[in-house]
Amino acid sequence: MFILSFYGCAAVRETLVKSLPPPSHLEEKIERNDFSVAKEDDVIGRLAVIRLEEEDTLPDIARHFSLGINTVSAANPGIDIWVPEDGDRILLPLSFILPDTVRKGIVINLAAMRLFYFREDGKQLAVSTYPIGIGTTERPTPMGQMHIVLKMFRPTWHVPASIAEDHRKKGDPLPAKVPPGPLNPLGEHALYLSKSGYLVHGTNKPTSIGLRATNGCIRLYPEDIKRLFETTSVKTPVTIVNQPYLVGQRDGTVYIEVHTPFEESGTTELEKAYAKLKNIEKKSGHALDWKRVKEAVAEARGIPVPVSEIRPGSEKDVAKTIELKHPDKLYGKPEIPELKTDAWYVLAAILHDQVDALRLAAIINHQGPQISARVLSKNDRHRVLAGPFNNSSEAKDVAKRLKIDLEIDGILVEP
Amino acid sequence: MKKSLLVISMMVALAIGVGGCATKGDLEQVQAQEKMIGAKADQAAQDAQAAKAAADAATLKANEAAARAEEAVRRAEERERIADEKAKQADSIFQKSMKK
Repeated sequence: MFILSFYGCAAVRETLVKSLPPPSHLEEKIERNDFSVAKEDDVIGRLAVIRLEEEDTLPDIARHFSLGINTVSAANPGIDIWVPEDGDRILLPLSFILPDTVRKGIVINLAAMRLFYFREDGKQLAVSTYPIGIGTTERPTPMGQMHIVLKMFRPTWHVPASIAEDHRKKGDPLPAKVPPGPLNPLGEHALYLSKSGYLVHGTNKPTSIGLRATNGCIRLYPEDIKRLFETTSVKTPVTIVNQPYLVGQRDGTVYIEVHTPFEESGTTELEKAYAKLKNIEKKSGHALDWKRVKEAVAEARGIPVPVSEIRPGSEKDVAKTIELKHPDKLYGKPEIPELKTDAWYVLAAILHDQVDALRLAAIINHQGPQISARVLSKNDRHRVLAGPFNNSSEAKDVAKRLKIDLEIDGILVEP
Repeated sequence: MKKSLLVISMMVALAIGVGGCATKGDLEQVQAQEKMIGAKADQAAQDAQAAKAAADAATLKANEAAARAEEAVRRAEERERIADEKAKQADSIFQKSMKK
């Protein structure tokens, strides 16, 4: 009963906030995945800003706009990923410099954690781009030239020995193979690469897009891999590069886009970028703003920064940032079912700090497969409750996942 | 000659007498002035002492306030550091949970 009364208060607050009219001058849509590439241009897309609403998290914003959590986080330093302030303005880095390599087939830039799929659209070059999750430092994604050798809908995951061993050590032994379904980490679609053992696939953990969390494979959001799967064919070439410093031009303006280089990366890429900029400066005869170049390198915000020296009238060539209307519903945002008095729950934690409690609930909600969780507050006690669950078995399974994945000792709450 | 000397002597004596009377009045006036100035000086000293005491008290209060402010800043920074650490720790655990 007390649970229901708390939920009632939260629902009223939510209704009040949502009843405020949105500003009227905002744009409703922006290109997220599909762009045409003009000749001589290396930069695609536009930057946008959006004002956060109550209970938004950066992973939810990232997924809705087909961005990785890494890029949204880098573009918005100082914003809490899980518990941002209601009303914060978030920069959406929906503009990209194309990697400096052949524009054919699939090109993956590991540093930007982004995949580009180039194809001819009539006489124009078209590109579809998606954010990705990649391999860890210990098990990095391989680079080089390869191609797609097999496409598989609803693939079975044959658990590699190294992963089986990791799970056994954690006390979570895996079967030799995992059939298609919500527990299959490959998701519903997989493109097998000619480099044996490496795949471009979907995921049952969509919040991992933009993280180094795989064993070398390349993960996409389920909705993105579906589109890629439908538009690619066997033998499509795949080029994997690692370019943290991207230099490009659009409408005569020079841009640099900097991503934090991986720990294992050297300084060669930065030297290459500087050489490219100097070459452009020499060829064009127009000076570059080297102070801005240095700032962009230091900040590493992952967005194209114009570095051409401003000349009278040249400001108009720089693409403007647009302000977007907050969508009524964010695609893929975890939904939390209503509380039921006759269900099982798992008490994940009791915390004195509300922000800590909200963060923990958000993290639990973004597990894959999702575990519904919410915060029930009373005075300075904020209880993080996972559930509802239909029976003790479901609740016990979740308690086990919380322990293995998040190191939480949950307490079962009976109906 | 003797008469002249007598006149001169009388004038000198008169002058001395008259002068003697003026010195006594002056002395009383001076004494009164001294008393008044002394009182003023005492008052000024007291005022200065009071002002110094007040200034000392104000300085003490200001120092205390500054110390309290510094402590508040330190505590706020500490809270921020702890909050950052908690957020990082939570993020690190989250990232681990995103592996296969």
